[in-house]
This record gives sequence, structure tokens and C-alpha cells, in this order.
Amino acid sequence: MSIEEDVVSRAIKGDGEAFAQLYEEHFDKIYRYVYLRLGGQAEAEDLTQEVFVKALEAIGSYRWRSLPFASWLFRIAHNQVIDYFRKQGKVGKVAWDNDITLADESDPSLAVEQKIEVEKVLDWVKKLSPAQCEVISLRFGVGLSVAEVAKALGKNAGTVKALQYNGIVALRKMMAGNR
Amino acid sequence: MTQKIEDILDNCLERMFKGESVEDCVKTYPEQALELEPLLKASFVVIQESSAIQPSPEFKARGRSQLQGILYAKLAKAERARIPIWHRRWAVAMTTVLVIVLAGVGIAAASTNALPDEPLYPAKLATEQARLTLAFSGMGKAELHIQFAERRATEIAEMALQGRSDKIFVLTEQVTNHLGGVPMAEKAVKIEEGGQKALAPPPPVPAPAPSDEAEDYGEGRGGYAVELKAMLCDSRARSLNILQTTLAETPENLRPPLEQAIKDVTEDYDRIILILESGSG
Repeated sequence: MSIEEDVVSRAIKGDGEAFAQLYEEHFDKIYRYVYLRLGGQAEAEDLTQEVFVKALEAIGSYRWRSLPFASWLFRIAHNQVIDYFRKQGKVGKVAWDNDITLADESDPSLAVEQKIEVEKVLDWVKKLSPAQCEVISLRFGVGLSVAEVAKALGKNAGTVKALQYNGIVALRKMMAGNR
Repeated sequence: MTQKIEDILDNCLERMFKGESVEDCVKTYPEQALELEPLLKASFVVIQESSAIQPSPEFKARGRSQLQGILYAKLAKAERARIPIWHRRWAVAMTTVLVIVLAGVGIAAASTNALPDEPLYPAKLATEQARLTLAFSGMGKAELHIQFAERRATEIAEMALQGRSDKIFVLTEQVTNHLGGVPMAEKAVKIEEGGQKALAPPPPVPAPAPSDEAEDYGEGRGGYAVELKAMLCDSRARSLNILQTTLAETPENLRPPLEQAIKDVTEDYDRIILILESGSG
């Protein structure tokens, strides 16, 4: 049994410490994914928290063999994002905000520069098709493997690779047009 | 077999995730280099910029504490669910009974010194009535009647000091009632004694003299009556002492009702003592 399997199985049995460990390990990635999909800090925070609350409620039903834990968690996140867009569809599009929290903000002038760059990338990712955006967010924002992305989204690996390729081609074009 | 560009791109991305440079990856696929290189560079920008996105530490800490709260609630619920439902219902029922009993005991204790017109006085009377009802033996009932008659006498004294002559009359009647209950209880003792004698095997030796058996109500002939008479005499002395002392402290204009109460109470005690004497003689 791997270390992660052990932690997950303890969390399933109600071990709070094990769940806290999973929270620490996946929180930043989930947040980054949700942020890349939604683009607003407040929305990303709310939704990330909802993902973990849902995970805590449902962890008893999680079975290791059918789905890697990260894929299971991102499936929850994916469903939350879909739900969010469904609700937003009725009230309007999400506005992207400029209040991005960066990993390193120790140098204010560098931070401002980096925020501009991040915003540019976020803007390009937003312009991708929803399926491409999903794959790019999970692959580049979170670092999931193609197999994990495929399981999280319920698609086959070939489709994910194709979406990834087309997404990168589209991004490349947008970047070239920006210069 | 030639690899699809999607697979080559994915292979290079995996290597980049592990720390290889764009140039190193491109070198592996010279034939696709022209197409591959700009795609990998674009990917690198997205990877690099999106890795800068981080949740604020405050939000992360807030989320952690919220989840801990949910987790504790979940664990507490699971713990409750482990206890069988009948067990939980039993616990609830027992707790309810306990609360009622404790509340009752508390009220009873608090009401012991309550006086007529005070909110807890009805509780005091109800507690006395309950004790009389629950008394196991006739002797126990008789003792309680004497005790409660004495209490009423004390209350007469308190009411006299407060100038509440209306209460004195009612309380005097209650003294009469309680003392009147003593001979009735004594009859019950006689019945109990007869029943025990009928059920018990004949004694192997003759019973000792009644004077040696004042404490043994079941065996001695008239021993209980002697005991009750002694108790009544003691109670009479205490009650009258309180009432006479109070009379000396009571203003002249308030004395007549108390004087009448002392007369009535004295007569009641004497009458009951006489009944007991005649019954046991």
C-alpha cells in the first residue's frame, strides 16, 4: 500500500488528521484549477471550499481501485465548476478580477509585473473552448497526468491528448497575436 | 510506426514537468522540431504563470478550520449513531425521570421552611401528603402525622408574629387533623401486628415484658402505643413551648387568636394522648 493509499484509507475511516493531510496536499492545486476555470478570486475561494466540504461528506463512498484519489477530487471540482457555470448562465458571465494572490509577493514591482503576465495567460485560457480549458487547467495548472485527467473528466486518454494539443495550438496563436 | 504529434507533445510535456528544458525535449524529435518548439514554449509560459496562482494563507487557514468543524460534527454524529436507538431512548427517558425527580427533590427541600402564602407552601403540603401516602407502616404514618402537626404549630407561631390571625385558625384545624390521624395509624399498626402474628410460627419462648420491648412494634403488646404516646408528649411540649414563647412576644391586640389556638392545640394533644392510653391500657 502506498503512503497516499494509507492516508486515504485512514481518511475514509474518519481520521481527521489524514483528511487534513489530503487537504494540505491538494488544496493549492484545486484552488489553481478552479481559479483557471472561473477567473475570480472570491468565486475560486468559495468553490474550492465547497469541493473539500463535498469531499469530506462523500469520502466514505470513495473506492481506491475505481479512481485515483486526485482524479476523484478533481471530478468533484469539475462538477462544482459545471454547476457554477450553469447557475451563472442564468445571471451572466463571471467577471475576471485582478486581485490575484501570487505565490511570491515579496518584491512589489515584480509582483505587479507577474500579475500582468498571469492575467494575460488567464485571458488566453478563458478564450479556449470549455473542453480545452478544462484539460489545460488540469494539466498545466494542476499537473495531473493525461490518465488522471481522463479519469477525472470521464474521457479517454486519446481525447484528452487531442484536446491538449488543440488547446496549446490555440494558445500559441493567441500569444503570437499578442506580440 | 510514426507517433502522432499529440503523443509526442504529451511525452515532451511530461519530461518538462520533470524538469527537462524545451530544447532537450525538441532534440529528441528533430523531424517535428519546427512544430513542436513553439508549442512547448507556449506550454511553458502557461505552466509557469499558472503556478504563480496561490490561495491566500488566511483563506487556506479559514477553510481548514471550517472543515475541522464539519469533521468533528461528523464524528460526533457517527459516535451517536453507534449507540443503539433503544439505548438512546432509554437514556433520554431516564434523564427525563432524573430531571423530574431532582427538580421535585429540589422543590421539596426548598419548600421545607415555606410559610402559608409563600409560593412554595403548596409544594410543602404536597410533599407531606406524598410522604404520608408512601409511608410503609402504620407506625411510620403516625410518626409523620405527629411531625406535621408540630410543623403547623410552628407556623401558627410565625403567623401570629406577622399578625395573620386568618391563617392561625386554618393552621389550628390542620393540627387537629394531623393529630386525629395518629389513632387511625395506630389501628393500622394493630392490624399489621395481627397479620404478622398469624403468618409467623409460634414463638418458642414466652414474649418478654412490654416494658423491655418499647422499640419492637410488631412483637410487644401495646409497645407501639407507648412509643406513640411518648412521641406525642414530646411533640406537645415542643409545640406549646413555641406557641407560649410567641404569645409572650406578640402585641396585646394580636394575642386572642393565638391564645385560642394554644387552647385548641393543647386540647387536641391531650385528647389524642388519652385515646392512645385508653386503647393500650
